[in-house]
Amino acid sequence: MTSRRRLQMIGLAASIVALVVLSLIPHLTSATDTQRWAQALYIGMAAMGLNILTGYNGQVSIGHGAFFGLGAYTSALLMHQHGWQFLPTLLVSAPLCFVVGVLIGFPALRVKGLYLALVTLGLAVLFPDLTKHFVHVTGGTNLVALNRTELEPPQWVPTWLSAIGRDDQWAYYVTFALTVVLVIATYLMVRSRFGRALIAVRDHEAAAETVGINAARVKVLAFGLSALYAGLAGSCSVLVDHLANADKVQTFQLSIKFLVAVVIGGAATVIGPLIGAGVIVGLQWFISEVLPRHVGSVGILKRTLGNPAASPAIFGILLILFVFVMPDGIVGGLRRFWTRLMSGRSGAPPPTPAPLTT
Amino acid sequence: MNHRGRDRRGPSNSLRALALCTVLALVIAACGSSRRSGNTTGNTGASTPGGTTPIIDTSNCPAGQDSVGVSGNTITLGTSLPESGLYAPFTAILKGERSYFSYLNAQGGVEVPKGSGKKYQIKLVDKDDAYDAARTVTNVNSLINDTKVFSLFNVVGTKNNLGARDTVNSDCVPDLLIASGAVQWGNTKFPWMLGSELVPYPLEVRVFVDYLKKNKPNAKIAVLKANDDFGQSYADTLTELIKGTNLTIVQTQGYDPESSDVKSAVTSLAATNADAFLLGATLLACPNALTAMGDAGWKPIVYMSGTCVSKLLLGAAGKNADGLLTVTPLVDPADPGNASLPAMQLYMQQVKKYSDADATDGIVAYGWTTAALMARILENSPKLTRSSVMETARNFKDGTGIGLELPGATWDTSATDWFLGETFQLITYDATAGHTKKLGPLVNLDGKTAELSPQSLLHS
Amino acid sequence: MSLFLTQLMNGIGNGAIYASLALALVLIYRTTGILNFAQGEMALYSTYLFWYFTDRGMPVIVAILLTVVLSFIGGAMIERVVIRPVENSSPLVLVIVTIGMFLALNSIVQVQFGSDIKTNLPRAYPRHVWRPGDVQISTDTLVLVGVLILECLVLYLLFQHTKLGLAFRAVSSNPESSRLSGVPAGRMLMLGWALAAALGALAGCLVIPTLGLQASSMQSILVFSFAAAALGGFDSPVGAVVGGLIVGVAQSLTTQYIKSLSDIVLVVPFALILIVLMVRPQGLFGTRRVERV
Repeated sequence: MTSRRRLQMIGLAASIVALVVLSLIPHLTSATDTQRWAQALYIGMAAMGLNILTGYNGQVSIGHGAFFGLGAYTSALLMHQHGWQFLPTLLVSAPLCFVVGVLIGFPALRVKGLYLALVTLGLAVLFPDLTKHFVHVTGGTNLVALNRTELEPPQWVPTWLSAIGRDDQWAYYVTFALTVVLVIATYLMVRSRFGRALIAVRDHEAAAETVGINAARVKVLAFGLSALYAGLAGSCSVLVDHLANADKVQTFQLSIKFLVAVVIGGAATVIGPLIGAGVIVGLQWFISEVLPRHVGSVGILKRTLGNPAASPAIFGILLILFVFVMPDGIVGGLRRFWTRLMSGRSGAPPPTPAPLTT
Repeated sequence: MNHRGRDRRGPSNSLRALALCTVLALVIAACGSSRRSGNTTGNTGASTPGGTTPIIDTSNCPAGQDSVGVSGNTITLGTSLPESGLYAPFTAILKGERSYFSYLNAQGGVEVPKGSGKKYQIKLVDKDDAYDAARTVTNVNSLINDTKVFSLFNVVGTKNNLGARDTVNSDCVPDLLIASGAVQWGNTKFPWMLGSELVPYPLEVRVFVDYLKKNKPNAKIAVLKANDDFGQSYADTLTELIKGTNLTIVQTQGYDPESSDVKSAVTSLAATNADAFLLGATLLACPNALTAMGDAGWKPIVYMSGTCVSKLLLGAAGKNADGLLTVTPLVDPADPGNASLPAMQLYMQQVKKYSDADATDGIVAYGWTTAALMARILENSPKLTRSSVMETARNFKDGTGIGLELPGATWDTSATDWFLGETFQLITYDATAGHTKKLGPLVNLDGKTAELSPQSLLHS
Repeated sequence: MSLFLTQLMNGIGNGAIYASLALALVLIYRTTGILNFAQGEMALYSTYLFWYFTDRGMPVIVAILLTVVLSFIGGAMIERVVIRPVENSSPLVLVIVTIGMFLALNSIVQVQFGSDIKTNLPRAYPRHVWRPGDVQISTDTLVLVGVLILECLVLYLLFQHTKLGLAFRAVSSNPESSRLSGVPAGRMLMLGWALAAALGALAGCLVIPTLGLQASSMQSILVFSFAAAALGGFDSPVGAVVGGLIVGVAQSLTTQYIKSLSDIVLVVPFALILIVLMVRPQGLFGTRRVERV
């Protein structure tokens, strides 16, 4: 077996283990922890979308919190004000986010790099104001909070995955299933002609056009697709968190979270963003729930590590240290480690740089 | 399958039933069925045989959950508030609360019911939500399901509590003394929530409108509001209350609550040369707006949101704040004239003992007083169950002398009155002295909040 | 008319603030090629230092000078310790590092200096408002504009008329060949960050006393500074200044004349950017990058 083939086998085995473990989560942990896992999954979904745009196509966006919010508000309003079930709302929120994404993608044909990042930042700071202007729902605010009855699964869902309320298994499994679908879709897309076009346009737009790739179409589509992923993630968040809400700080921080998940998981890898999202949610849990309980009452430690006000600082510093150690993300780092391991064992020539795609 | 399906549809019907029962209960209660407080037989909802009509219908509450959160001689309360991020200054509230509960526990604890001799220690579990409503909901669920708190206490923020509204009302967990002066806590469909002693925002507007009707009945009013539900409730209430008067709104400007730059907005308002200025703003936007007003040479009658009453913010505005009107539900800890009050001396001494907070900060005083109010509600409850405590809070009487409550003021609620902080003091700022001064007697608008509130906020 | 002029002055005052921070962004962009998300929070930290010094009785001018010097050193250290190790990584990694600093600095000031609002920051000058013909002009505005002009002048002299500036320009336009020709590129990068931090510190010390200091003080300013830099062109100091002024003025005139947008004021600067960038993707004063097949 070649090193690459063996890597694929390990990848397959790991995927199966991950699938099994993830599908058991609601039965293994408390409702609160299940919710946390579901949050990691929906952040991962949005990050996978951003990865299509940023990782594979090289366009940076720091405004995907807005698409996420659009998806969330669409689902929440349809459920709360029009009595829809959750699943049908996806048929509205996904196309809507795709279309809006495409529309935002058009200026991106001319505006590039940092300038584009800034335009998308504008999106993230404007979106909350727009919701405040147009949405007056729960208590007359721009919050859309859902009742327990509105979050219930449809009747055909078997009981063992629908114990709604106490432990939110339905919310988890819907998010999980959608995540799996998106992972497979991404995997297939990356290997398709479109996937190769994405990368070609990222690496050299003008050169890509000389081989017959319609760069404009590819870039606009990438925007639309990534918005669709983010929108689906937002829809799932309604089921998981029981509400849709937008504030400047939160929308901006979500946008940042997606980008961080892409980079620390591994940009331009299929599964990286999902792992990155897991790391972010896990770290935040560790910093705000575990750390304060274990630093004891020693003055200086309690005032720093155990102080809730310091939790963003701890997160930020860990983030910086993380990219120092693994600048190509977890998946990239693992791949490098594997290559080194294999070359050491078989006495093969020194490792060649890892390919960009999985 | 069918059977289960019906089960699942159940709650929707039962919720409607709950709402209906609540309304019925209210109507009955309003029709003169008087209910004595401190009833030792215990009024725990529908299970109470005969006697008085409870305000809260508990027939749809989950079984066996009524005394969760009390173990041995400890009552566990839970709170969620921003302890990190841009709204971390609110952590000072927690310091005031902890000081009071530490003081109370050192005295032996809270006696429930009063006179029974049975004393409980109070344990307060806090969770950080960074002012993000989604995180608040997660925290509330975790406090209820994992920590197993008896009651939620002083959870900060309007949207933050609205997000958890369905959870606390379906699970029948008291969400007591919500840290927000919003009127949404008067929504009778959700009886398990009660706002704290903060003056409901519409009452502030009412006081201002009354003042203008008396002193400047033809006044043109300019409004600065924060672009969120907080600012909106000032603007909406004003629009409602000036109907049928000779008062008019000449211009309304919004400002971004994440920023404190209001100069251009105030310049624009000043250009109208309005007679009166309503400041539905908070934190640094207040002094900045007053400074901009002074710069423009504009001298209207100013009403500033009670949320801005602090030595720090008023001091920053200096002479531009002179003579403004506002309200407070508490004795000002920054005013040296109050130092001789016994309640103030106790407060100063205990806050110093149990925390590193600045005791002259009004927000610490608010935390302290709210904790004292919580203890009083527990004391008055005939039984230590969630339904009994909530019922007591909904029918709270003789709320005087609590924490730093104004001498002579009373905080109470009833079947028809869902708000506590309806007696308060109109005050004016004296820039030369550097603190606020009373203006007239206590204002008593007990039971008036619901009718003064914009109905769109109250019922949605 | 006097109202228009007053709003114009308001806009110019705010614009000068945005321009100062945008200049710092441009400096870092030109040296390290990244968008520094932490620029506002670096200035925030400096301003808290300034508060700390004056709160303990240091004279205002001394405190400002000390803060600027410390920030200069701090900026150089950040480049050396935090940026240098990932210097050759992808731009995405650099963005993540500055986001990490953004989160960390905002939280560190709260832990170190307390999360309560500070309003007792002294101004370095007496405050006065003139009203010639009903137009308001305050010393705040004059000082902010004056400092901006001073900053531009110093940077101009430094870059165009000193050997150091020449080396700096060489490094920012072509790091590889300037390294080959013996210019200490590393030190030049440190200089870029140091200057940016010092500029931010100066802006913070002068602006924040007019607004009050809290952990969120710099964030909305930074958003407008980003807008300013994008509008003017990320590699153009002139663009940063012009962009800042345009954004500031657009903001105050919107507040005055387009009441229907009063709760979504941010629409105007961002719409403006979008329109400008559609026509000139490199910003008003930016240089176009040529791509070859």
